[in-house]
Amino acid sequence: MRGLWALVLLAAVLPASAEGVGRPVIDGFVEPSNAAFTRSTADLAASVEVLCDKPGNDTLSASRTAFATALDDWGHVSVLRFGPLAADSRFEKLFFWPDARGIGLKQVQGLLTSSDLDGISSGMAGKSAALQGFPALEFTLYGAGSDSLAAGDPWRCSVASAIASNIAAIAATVAQEWNAGSPFAASFAAPAEGREPYRTEAEVQGEIVKALATALQFIRSAELAPPLGEEPAKANGKRAPMWRSRLTAPLIVAQIDGVRQLLAAAGYERSLPEDSRYIASSIRFELDNAIRTLGQVEGPAEQAFGTEPDRGRFAFAELALHHASELVTRDLAAALGLTMGFNALDGD
Amino acid sequence: MEIDRRTFLTLLGAAAMAPSGALASEEQLYLAARARGGRHEVAVLDARGADRLVLPIEDRGHSFAIDHGRRTAVAFARAPGRYAVAFDIAGKAVPQPLVAAEGRHFFGHGIFSPDGRLMFASENDYEAGKGVTGIYDVGKGFARLGEFDCGGIGPHDVVLMPDGKTACVANGGILTHPDYDKLKLNLDTMAPSLAYLDIASGDIVEQVSLPADLHKLSIRHLIVDASGAVWFGCQYEGDAGDRPPLVGRHRRGHEPELFAGPPDLLRRMDNYVGSVSVDTSGEIVATSSPLGGLVAFWDAATGRYLGEQSMADVCGVAPLKPGHVLATTGRGAVDDMSPSARAAILGEFATNPAWDNHLRLV
Repeated sequence: MRGLWALVLLAAVLPASAEGVGRPVIDGFVEPSNAAFTRSTADLAASVEVLCDKPGNDTLSASRTAFATALDDWGHVSVLRFGPLAADSRFEKLFFWPDARGIGLKQVQGLLTSSDLDGISSGMAGKSAALQGFPALEFTLYGAGSDSLAAGDPWRCSVASAIASNIAAIAATVAQEWNAGSPFAASFAAPAEGREPYRTEAEVQGEIVKALATALQFIRSAELAPPLGEEPAKANGKRAPMWRSRLTAPLIVAQIDGVRQLLAAAGYERSLPEDSRYIASSIRFELDNAIRTLGQVEGPAEQAFGTEPDRGRFAFAELALHHASELVTRDLAAALGLTMGFNALDGD
Repeated sequence: MEIDRRTFLTLLGAAAMAPSGALASEEQLYLAARARGGRHEVAVLDARGADRLVLPIEDRGHSFAIDHGRRTAVAFARAPGRYAVAFDIAGKAVPQPLVAAEGRHFFGHGIFSPDGRLMFASENDYEAGKGVTGIYDVGKGFARLGEFDCGGIGPHDVVLMPDGKTACVANGGILTHPDYDKLKLNLDTMAPSLAYLDIASGDIVEQVSLPADLHKLSIRHLIVDASGAVWFGCQYEGDAGDRPPLVGRHRRGHEPELFAGPPDLLRRMDNYVGSVSVDTSGEIVATSSPLGGLVAFWDAATGRYLGEQSMADVCGVAPLKPGHVLATTGRGAVDDMSPSARAAILGEFATNPAWDNHLRLV
């Protein structure tokens, strides 16, 4: 989704502080969320290994709990869809979504019935992105036939283990490429001539605004709008991510919380000119409302999107995110001296 | 894209009152979509940027299929639009709305056959996730006759080759589905290509791709130069730091060639070329980057970079005279541009229309 919100730099940007916005964003959001994601995905991989060694209800339950924790951390990290997470299709490998034509389901079902041990002995890294990440692992751990994992299903468990290890490996790579000392982090924290990819503070500011806008757009267009449908009769909760694990609302809450944390780390509520600071607090207000309302969702996603009052809760969250999105792309961008060119939306 | 008939007819009246000879067929006229005061329009304008005809349209437009001989055009909605409108460039007929077939939407580009009897449009068969070229019978009210498989996903621009029998389609490779806004659904498996279609049979008579490591370089916009080679402009969907070449040339029977230009040009173009054109001689190619706010010029014979002009939010480029193109921006400016100079025709004013991606010479 790089460039979905391509911002053209209009003028010199107001520096968030003398040091720029990159360093506080790394310290306040990127490093802690990458660290949590690296840890929880490693725990998930270890937990699935235990499940394979000692199949049982308790080990399956532990793997599912580890999955939920790692997915929550993914929700936060997913907001950083640029640089290390965008390189090498890592976002798609971790989270192949939206999957309009159900490619992931077909592929994972095909793999589970193939018993192609050689095919996964070297890991998942060379396989289709749709097989490499959370949606494929969710089907393996929660989809039809997954209860066999408790009774002992070596092949299915090997697949789960290979995917979980792959997720952990990608998480570690992303964290490493963000580490202090990496060229990417150096240019993000201290943009300068000769550095890549950021040479000016305005470029870093633009990247952060794009990341906020892209994340909000993704939640609305890929996760909330398709299952909601235009009217209740067209609702289809199975178009929501993570409906099998009943983690749809928790995932979206984690993503919105990631947006909120990135916004806080950027420090706009302190650094914008005083007459523009309301923008940051207004965005936060919308995000808080969306999170609170999604927290009230009771039913599983298959029903919740088509049944009141849960449907109204998802719809309210979608609207709040729409408002937040407008505030980011119009008001926040303008307050930072960035503007979106009429011809700058790519894909045309 | 419902047309406000009354507004249109009012404008028709205005066009009819233009000085005699204003729409003489030898005069250079241009087509462009634009936004003005929150409304969307299609405009016929002259080389001075003056309006000759304006059609209000319901949503944002994109590019056109043009029957140069009969001075008819079809304006397409911007993807994923499902509407288009066929109109007489001189405003002598009531425009005719077209609606995309069930399960299809337009991508914004199309061509006419040389005899003007057929119109071809780049379309998305979004449930199947494949690109098609829709075929329309002009004489039967643009009835849709069927479609050709164009050999890839996300066909965007299409040009008619000088033989008059072959269409070249830019299969951009990006999968989209209207239920998911403009989200790109297949970045990991993109496979862009140039496909040459026999417009009589739909046979793909030649198809070329870029090297595998450039599979995220989406080929999007096309122009044919004086020698009959196809020039293409790309946008890159890979890592922002990669900065691959964005401009290339394909001669039938050869491998595509890519041209990078001077150091730093690619960084400034920011992995995005929005439009391509030639000058009236067909010997100079112009490529615009609205992200970079520049138009870069290339020698069509050698691929040598000839120079560039800066212009904020520039995208539309079209032939003006030998060595020169007309360029338009999202901020209302219109310039006469060459590799070495630019002259403002219309300046940036908030009240000017915002010119959309493409400017096309009739």
